[in-house]
Order: sequence, then structure tokens, then C-alpha cells
Amino acid sequence: MSFRKIFTPYIHEDKCHSLKFYQSKGGYEQARKALNDWQPDDLIETVKAANLRGRGGAGFPTGVKWGFVPKQVDKPKYLAVNADESEPGTFKDRLIMEKNPHLLLEGIIICCKAVGIHHAYIYIRGEFVFGANRLQNAIDRAYSEGILGENCLGSDFKLDVTVHRGAGAYICGEETGMLTSIEGDRGQPKLKPPFPAVEGLFGCPTVVNNVETLANLPYILEIGAEEYRKIGPENSPGPKLFCVSGHVEKPGVFELPMGVSLRTLIDEHAGGVWKGRKLKAVIPGGSSAHVLTADECDVAMDIESLAAAGTMLGSAGVIVMDETTCMVDALLNIMRFYHHESCGQCTPCREGTGWLEKIAHRIAVGGGRIEDLDLVTEVCDRMVGKTICALADAAAFPAESIVKKFREDFVAAIENGGSPAWVKRHPANTGGAAAHV
Amino acid sequence: MSDSNSTVRWTLNGTEVENEAGMTIMEAAKVHGVDIPQFCYHPGLSIAGNCRICMVESNRSPKPVISCSERIAEGLEIKTQSEVAVDARNSVMEFQLINHPLDCPVCDKAGECVLQDHSYEHGPDRSRFVEDKNIRHTKELGPTIDIWGNRCIVCTRCVRFCDEISGTGELCVVERGDRSVVDVFPGVPIDNSLAGNTVDICPVGALISSDFKYEARVWNMDKTSSVCGGCSRGCNVEVETLDGFVKRLTPRENLDVNDWWMCDHGRYGWRHLYADSRLESAQHDGQAVSPTGTSGALHQLLSSSSSTAFLVDPYMTCEELHLVRSIANSLGGSTIAGWLPAAGTEETFPGGFKISADKHPNRKGAEHVLGSDLFTASADQLKSALSNGSIDTLVAFVGGDGFEGAGGEWNDLISKAGKRIVFATQQGSWCDGADLVVPATAPLEKEGVWVNEDDRAQRTRSCRSLTSNHFPSELVVLQELQVHMDLRNRPLSAAGIFRELSETSDAFSGHSHSGLGDSGSPLSQRPAAMSSEGGHS
Amino acid sequence: MTVTETLAFSDEAMKKYEWLLSRYPTRKAALLPTLRIAESEFGELGVPQMKYVADLMEIPPATVFGVVTFYTHYRRAGVGKYHLQVCSTLSCALRGSGDVVSRVTERLGIGVGETSECGLFTLSKVECLGSCDTAPVIQCNDDYHEGLSLEDVDALIEQLRQEAGKGGA
Ligand SMILES: Cc1cc2nc3c(=O)[nH]c(=O)nc-3n(C[C@H](O)[C@H](O)[C@H](O)COP(=O)(O)O)c2cc1C
Ligand code: SF4
Ligand code: SF4
Ligand code: SF4
Ligand code: FES
Ligand code: FES
Repeated sequence: MSFRKIFTPYIHEDKCHSLKFYQSKGGYEQARKALNDWQPDDLIETVKAANLRGRGGAGFPTGVKWGFVPKQVDKPKYLAVNADESEPGTFKDRLIMEKNPHLLLEGIIICCKAVGIHHAYIYIRGEFVFGANRLQNAIDRAYSEGILGENCLGSDFKLDVTVHRGAGAYICGEETGMLTSIEGDRGQPKLKPPFPAVEGLFGCPTVVNNVETLANLPYILEIGAEEYRKIGPENSPGPKLFCVSGHVEKPGVFELPMGVSLRTLIDEHAGGVWKGRKLKAVIPGGSSAHVLTADECDVAMDIESLAAAGTMLGSAGVIVMDETTCMVDALLNIMRFYHHESCGQCTPCREGTGWLEKIAHRIAVGGGRIEDLDLVTEVCDRMVGKTICALADAAAFPAESIVKKFREDFVAAIENGGSPAWVKRHPANTGGAAAHV
Repeated sequence: MSDSNSTVRWTLNGTEVENEAGMTIMEAAKVHGVDIPQFCYHPGLSIAGNCRICMVESNRSPKPVISCSERIAEGLEIKTQSEVAVDARNSVMEFQLINHPLDCPVCDKAGECVLQDHSYEHGPDRSRFVEDKNIRHTKELGPTIDIWGNRCIVCTRCVRFCDEISGTGELCVVERGDRSVVDVFPGVPIDNSLAGNTVDICPVGALISSDFKYEARVWNMDKTSSVCGGCSRGCNVEVETLDGFVKRLTPRENLDVNDWWMCDHGRYGWRHLYADSRLESAQHDGQAVSPTGTSGALHQLLSSSSSTAFLVDPYMTCEELHLVRSIANSLGGSTIAGWLPAAGTEETFPGGFKISADKHPNRKGAEHVLGSDLFTASADQLKSALSNGSIDTLVAFVGGDGFEGAGGEWNDLISKAGKRIVFATQQGSWCDGADLVVPATAPLEKEGVWVNEDDRAQRTRSCRSLTSNHFPSELVVLQELQVHMDLRNRPLSAAGIFRELSETSDAFSGHSHSGLGDSGSPLSQRPAAMSSEGGHS
Repeated sequence: MTVTETLAFSDEAMKKYEWLLSRYPTRKAALLPTLRIAESEFGELGVPQMKYVADLMEIPPATVFGVVTFYTHYRRAGVGKYHLQVCSTLSCALRGSGDVVSRVTERLGIGVGETSECGLFTLSKVECLGSCDTAPVIQCNDDYHEGLSLEDVDALIEQLRQEAGKGGA
């Protein structure tokens, strides 16, 4: 079977986001079947059999997660759709919401039917104003056409969908931070256990799934688990959206089978490193992943292969850096991000992220010491695995790997009085490049 | 196999132990004498799990787990001293300290600071942090509380207190990351009757009581375990004194009374001890009486009295009241009545804490010692006896703010007695024209037993020392009077008097000072075996 | 000052607020979206506006304060008519967001975090806007301006100035 795009085949068409267009391509047929013909348990089993794995970053098997939700409870159950898309280098869910919002809604209906959920909240980052409006319009249409509401698609299934806008906080992409944010609080992650499947939103059993994860569901029902599992590697199959940004000729979102080679992705799909330059470094899965050197890029873009290569697929946000990039500046930029975004509740993350940024800054502006390189590694060690959520790990992974794999950039910055950009611009009192990145 | 559901077998540092199911690792370890450090955990508040200092190694998790929130389970193996656990604690300590100002020499918390304690035990010996430290605000959060933001470790205890216990919600954490710090909404200060507790539970010197600021170093103060006399809750407190003068009151944990808390009325109420209006020496016909001469003067007045009445107040201890009763009995046919200051308002809080409307620490005790109609029928009787001039000598005990709060009615009435002896804490119209004025102890200066509104007997202890004031307490004066009256050979301690009381009163029988201990006991709950405590000291 | 007394949601905003309450099982859950209503009704979320929302929702004002300061995307008091938020995270930095910031600084004479004297512009650096393929990116109020060259930056500023002029600002 040749690869068929499911998220993006029509994104260049004018009205691709409209209900009419979506239905003209067979849209909502799978939801209709799920509502009218499928038993919930069979839906869960099918998604398990398809081995659909979460596209939000952790890659957890979706069907298994649904199976954790207690069947018999006297509380409502909820679906929280993770549309926070806040991982640096990631811009795929936005595409689905802006160009193909009904695909997401259809996926939501299928998930809710499978788990017995009657209210789904879509948590969309606050900056996506256009996307939120698109989504709201699609939802309004779906209500007025009887796709959502009291009797979804003519069944006796009731489903409400509410768009909940974030307000600028990366941490609300973390699933429990998102739940606190929906509950009207500072978006601080919650202690686990209890896990959301048992005690999540408003203290009720809750499924948290990423936009792209849910958007896979109609296709799985359409072609069946067996066919789906044949797309890409069996242990992390399916069509996948890859985001490529940074120093490439044609940055963008590319829909390809899971397991495409990273090298192919960069060289063929994204047009190769820009300006004819050489590749220096790649972060393959959003900025929270360990960095790869140019030599390490012959790796398949799937969950297991990237894990074996010591990094992760994460959100599939591929950030490409060319030979002119100073990795000290890159580290500083990334550390500033995590320092800015740490919610601040747990000590190792609150203090560690700021410390890492300060060290990186000092090296970038000429105050570095050789012992700082070991210090970065040790601070990372002291953060990893000691916090409420994985943001601390997400900060430590790029830090420790950048310092380890690009040591020569750091040594040079220490010996030359700062990163090349800083040295070049200094002493112009505009602040220097290091202050910009 | 007696596999009871309610106990769990698990392993702590290599030893198999058993605990009740449902306990956290921290609670269960404590039972076995293993104290795990904590910042954010407080037994009275919800679990935040944010400081991470309590991490331990678990066989069930690849990462260290936090013992304040993880629960014990069958087969769980926990190590608190392994490399993983020690490294986790050291990590947290290093992170806690990098931006901390380390200003212990000028910090009021020094000496009782959890950060200071843990850093000696678990902290790094040198700092690897060479960067500039973060700066956060230092400001007033309310009339009694300041924040030194640089010291705040964002444990959120204070915020949770205001959300969960006082229910007033004035505090919040603002900003995020390492800019996070505790604040109030602009123009809405923290100002609730329980606010002072936030200072106690702040593990560091971030929240500072403006009342106590720079008053004393905590290690220089003496502590007395006592009971607050502010209302009939009878919160257990620690009275802290420097050179004999009270510097502050803090709550003492008692889960049957006040949990870990006390109210601000009680907390700051000690200032009345040093009011200018305090009586310091006895006055007989306008002449000062020496401390040793007081009981003699008293005896003289009473021995010439044809009819004597006693008016007691609900601040007096059961021991003082017992002495009054025995003196009155020996005088024959004396009336005893009680007066009550005005009631206040009750305040209740979502966390279960209650400030009683009954502002008197020992109304219940007085009724047990002197009869349930002490403040009602007996009081009415005495009022009419005074009105029609049939009382020759009145001995009135006027504690608290005196008769002012009670509407002043007694002020007129007592002047109708032929002779008047007044035991008073404060100068006031009730002293005017009295034949003998005797300085009286106030709550926190008394040694003895009070019975709170729930019928719980608790020992209040005196924080008095020679330097704070010199006059003998009523406990001593009344016993010396008994010696003059040949009712007693020599004065006893409060414990001895209480023993006499327990032998003569059903309500108190079986109880003793040592039996009541530091946390008291419901009167109805008598110790199984009669205590053989002696009061012969 | 009696700002607090004069602040009130319009009927339409109030309807929207009531609708919001019907979408959540708890009142507090409506806080974030209600702050958005307040933002658009009042133009910014300063102290009086936060107090209004707290009173309306019967939530302690401190809670609202904690929430507003946690998030970076609310319009806080003192922000200019056009909030130029330049993405400065890695993908944008790799493609010249630093130069975009410098350009705005030069053109408007304001530094990061500052507002122009005319009150029209505030310049901020923000984190990844989820538009890295079109870096560098500026979010101006609700709108994204993507794939910006320095000339595009000049044109954007010019366009905003004209727009403000027309609006009689
Ligand atoms: C710091 C942090 C940020 C995250 N941000 C996102 C995000 O923006 N979008 C997302 O879908 N998942 C994000 N995740 C992953 C979620 O926690 C969660 O695993 C995911 O939403 C689950 O959905 P899935 O199983 O469908 O992938 C983040 C995780 C962490 C630790
Ligand atoms: S790891 Fe960081 S972001 Fe996550 S809960 Fe802790 S402080 Fe917050
Ligand atoms: S002020 Fe004290 S109690 Fe409150 S969060 Fe800070 S350290 Fe904790
Ligand atoms: S509640 Fe009553 S006993 Fe407790 S501290 Fe307050 S005044 Fe004192
Ligand atoms: S005491 Fe356990 S995390 Fe703070
Ligand atoms: S880095 Fe600028 S939009 Fe992602």
C-alpha cells in the first residue's frame, strides 16, 4: 500500500477547513460508525491493536491509556485535548486546527465514544488566536449540524466540546499543568499518582491526548488496525507530521510515514541545509531532546530508533543548525527558554533552570571557566528525575548533550572571551548577540 | 496467616517493619524513629510535594520518590540513607541555597529555621554558585506580617494555610519560575484572625512577624508550655521570654484543642501583662503594703468581718477557686458568686479552628469547683445582698479588663459593701475606695488548671520570673491567709492544691497535674489507676 | 480613584460570561476565559480589572493575581496599543530574530519591555510561538506576522502607525 496522507492532503485547497469540504471527502463517516455500530471496548481494542502511540511527546500507547480509565464510576469523565503546542520547534497541531479542524473533531468523537466521555475540552495555547477561532467556528458548525450536542450524528450519544484558551505558559503543555490551567489555576503540574486517567480534570477520570494523536483515529477505523500497523515501523507505526525549522532551505511540516530517515527529511523534504552550508547539529524532537551531531543524523525518525540513538522523537520538532552556529549561543537560548518557562514549584527545576541559564550566559559573554563544563553536567544530574514533571529533564537533556557533544565551542568561547557573535559585536553597547539569542 | 488488611509490611533501611495501611512513607518512618527532612509538608495542610527534600530511594521507582506523598505498600523497600537518597537531598539543599541570601545573622528565624537546620545536616560544604543572586521583594503583607522575599523557598505553606485553614485566601504566589514569591493583592493585606500562624509555619525567615522583628534571638529565650487565656478554647501555647519578659507566644500542637494553630487575639494578647495600668503592689488604705505583709492585712480585715462574700472571676484557676472555697467555708455562711465579662463574638474557620465567643478561660472550671449557678443564681443573690447593704466585707477578684467589659454594673454594687478587698490585675474604678487592693496575676502568669469549653482540663503555667514582677501570686497569698487562719501549716504548690481539689470534688477526682501533663485531658476521661502524685513539695 | 466602581462588563460580555459558567463544572474554571473577556472589555488587566473579575467570580483577588502573573500572554497594564512580541526562541533566533528586535528598537527607539512615548508600541521578546517554519515571527496583538525580513518589519511598523492614525488614536 502506498503512503496516503491523512492530515495534509488538501491543505492547499481554499475551503479545506470547511465542514462541507471535509464531508465531501468522506469526513465524519468513521465517527458515525463509531457512534452507531462500534462497541466502546472494541474501539479501545482496535486502537491498542493499531499500536497508536501518543504524538504529544511521550509516545505512550493511546489504547492502553484509555484502558486505564475506570469503566464504572459515578463521576463524569473528561477528555482534555492537548493543543498547547508549546514545545520549541513544533508547529504541527496548529496546521491541523487551522486547516483540518473537523478531522480533530472526528477523532474527539471516536475517543469519547470509546471511553464514555461526554465533555471534551480543547486546550489551545493563547497565542493561537486564529486557530482558536477556526476551531470554534468548526465546533459551532458541528453543533448546528447535529454532529456534536445531544444526539451526535443521529445517535443517542451526547458530546460537548469546549475550547479553552491558554494564556502563555509552556508548562501548560504538560498534561497535568494543562489540567490545573483548565481548572482556572496557575498552570502548575500535579503530583502523580494519582494519574489523570483515574483522577484528572476536576478530580474525575480524564484522558489527555494530543491533537495529532486524535486525528489518527478516523483513519485507524477506516483501514483497520492491521493495515495501520503496516505504516512505518511496527512498534511505532502510522502517518506522522514532522516539523523542520532552523537552517534549512524549506522549513515546514511534512507528512510522512513514521520512521523516515532524519537525513532524508532534512535533505530532501526540507530542501537541505540553507545557503549551501554544512550541517552542524540537529535537535530531532523539540528542544527538550538530546542534540545530535551531523554525523548522528542517519537515524530513523520513530520512537524506538531515536531512543536507541540516545535522544527522542518527542514532538517531532526538528531544529537544524548549520556550521556557523555557535552551540554556546544555542545552549543559552534554550536555557533561557526553560528558565523562563519553569513553573517554579519544585526546587531543582526552579533553581536549576536559572542556574544553567546564568552559566551559559556567563560563558557566552566571556566569563566562562573550564570547570563550568563539568558544572553544567553536574547541575543537570542534580535536576533529572527529581521533580514533579519532566520540564526539569527537558531542560537538562539538551544542556548536558550540547556541552558534551560540542565541547570545542565552549572551550573556544572560554578562551576567546565569549561566543563568536559576542566577540564580534562587543564592545558595541547594543548588548551583543548573546543577549539577543 | 493472619493477613490483616489494615497493616502493611514493608522494609525501611533494610529492616522489615509494619505500619497501618494508608500511611505515607514519612509518617510511617517516623514511627520507627526515622525522621525524614521536610520543608513543604505540614501535617495540618494539604500535600504540595514541591520542595523535594524528602526524597528517598524506593524499589518501586527508578527515580527517588517523595516520602511526604508516597504511601507505604506491601513489599515496598525504602532507603533513606542510600547514595541515591543522600544525593537527592544534597541536590535539593544545594538548589535551595544558591539564591538564598544567607543572612542568618540578621534573620529573625535563625535558630529555628528549617533551612538552616537541614543545611548543616544535608547541605553542601561549599557553594559552586558564582552567579549573581536573584532579588525578590521585601515588603509589608499586612499589619502584622512582612515578607523577605529573597528568603522565600516557595513551599506554599503560608498560601495553603490561608486557603485551607483560615479560608481567607489573601496570599498567593505571583510570577513563576525563580521569580515566584509570595504576595498579596495590591490593597488587600493579609489581615485575618489566624494570620500569625503563617509566620510560625514558614520554614524559613521569609514571613516575619512585625511584632517580634528584631526583638530577640530565639536561642536566648526561655520557653514555658502554657495555655492561652484569651477565650475558652484554651489553645496550647509556648510562652517565650527573654530575661523574664514575654517576647512572643506561639501555638503548641494539640490535636484535641488547637491543632497547630492559635489566633492573633491570643498571640498578641500578652502585651496587657506590661500595661501601664498593671497593679504592682498591694495598697492598704492608700499605703503600700510589702509583699510579705499582704496576707496579714487580709487576715486582719477578714477576722473583723461579720458577713463576708467572695466575688470570683473566670480567669482564676481551679486551685485559686478551691482555696477561695475553703476560706469561705471556714468563715461560715459566706456567699460565693462569680462575675462574667461580656461575651465576644465567635469566629469559625473552614479548617475547623474556632475562636470561642466565651472569652474566659475557666468558666467551666469555676462552675465545677463552685457550683453550676455560680455566675447566675449566686450572682443575682450577691447582687441583691450588696444592694440592700447586707454584706460587711466583700473580697472581689477583678481580672481581665475589669468590670468595664461587663457593663460596669458591678462597679456600683461593690461600693455598697462595708469593706472591700480587691484582687485586681489592672488599676480601675473597682480599686477606688477599696480598703485593700492586692495585685493579681493575669493569664500566662498563673500556675494551675483551667477547664475549657469542651470540659477539658489543662495546665496553664506561669511565665513569671522575679524580674518581671515581684508580687506574690494569689495562690501564695490565699494559702498564707490560710496559714494565718490556722487552716494550713505551710503553702503547697499548685499541684498539691489540685490534689486537695481532686480529693474533695467529684468532677476532678482521679486527675492530677502530672496526669494532665502538657496536653491536658477531658475531665470525663479519668486515668485508669489513681495517680499517687504527691503535692507535698 | 473610583475606577473599580465604574468598571463593568457590557451586557454582551456578561452573556458570554454566563455562557462560560455553563461550560464548566466549577466556577473557578471559567477564570482564564473570563480574564480574556475582561481584557477585551477593559483593554488591559491592571489592578482594578483583576479586582472586578475577582468580585464578579467571588474568587479571592489574590488568586486572580497569582493566575494573571503566572501567564505571559495577558495584556497587563501599561502595554501599548500594539504589542510587538518578537519570538526569540531557537528556531527564530537561528533565522535572525535578534536582528528583528534590533530593527524594532532602532525604528521605535524603545528597548525590550518598553513602550514608545506615543503609547502605540510595546516591544517584548517572547518564547516559541509555534510558527518556527515561518521564522522570524512577530505576534502583534492577536495577529501573527511571519517570515519577516527587516524591510517587512519596517513596513509593519508603518502600517500600524497609519492604522492608528486612521483610527484617530
Ligand atoms: C514540559 C512538557 C511540555 C509538554 N508540552 C506538550 C505540548 O505542547 N503538546 C502536547 O501534546 N504534549 C505536550 N507534552 C506531553 C504531555 O504531557 C502528554 O504526554 C501528552 O499530551 C499526552 O498525549 P499523547 O499521549 O496523545 O501524546 C509536554 C510534556 C512536558 C513534560
Ligand atoms: S519540574 Fe519544573 S515545571 Fe515541572 S512542576 Fe517542577 S518546577 Fe514546575
Ligand atoms: S513565605 Fe515562607 S511559608 Fe510562604 S511560601 Fe515562602 S517560604 Fe513558604
Ligand atoms: S482561640 Fe482563644 S484560646 Fe486560642 S489563641 Fe485565640 S484567644 Fe487564645
Ligand atoms: S516535604 Fe516532601 S516534597 Fe516537600
Ligand atoms: S521558535 Fe519562533 S515560532 Fe518557534
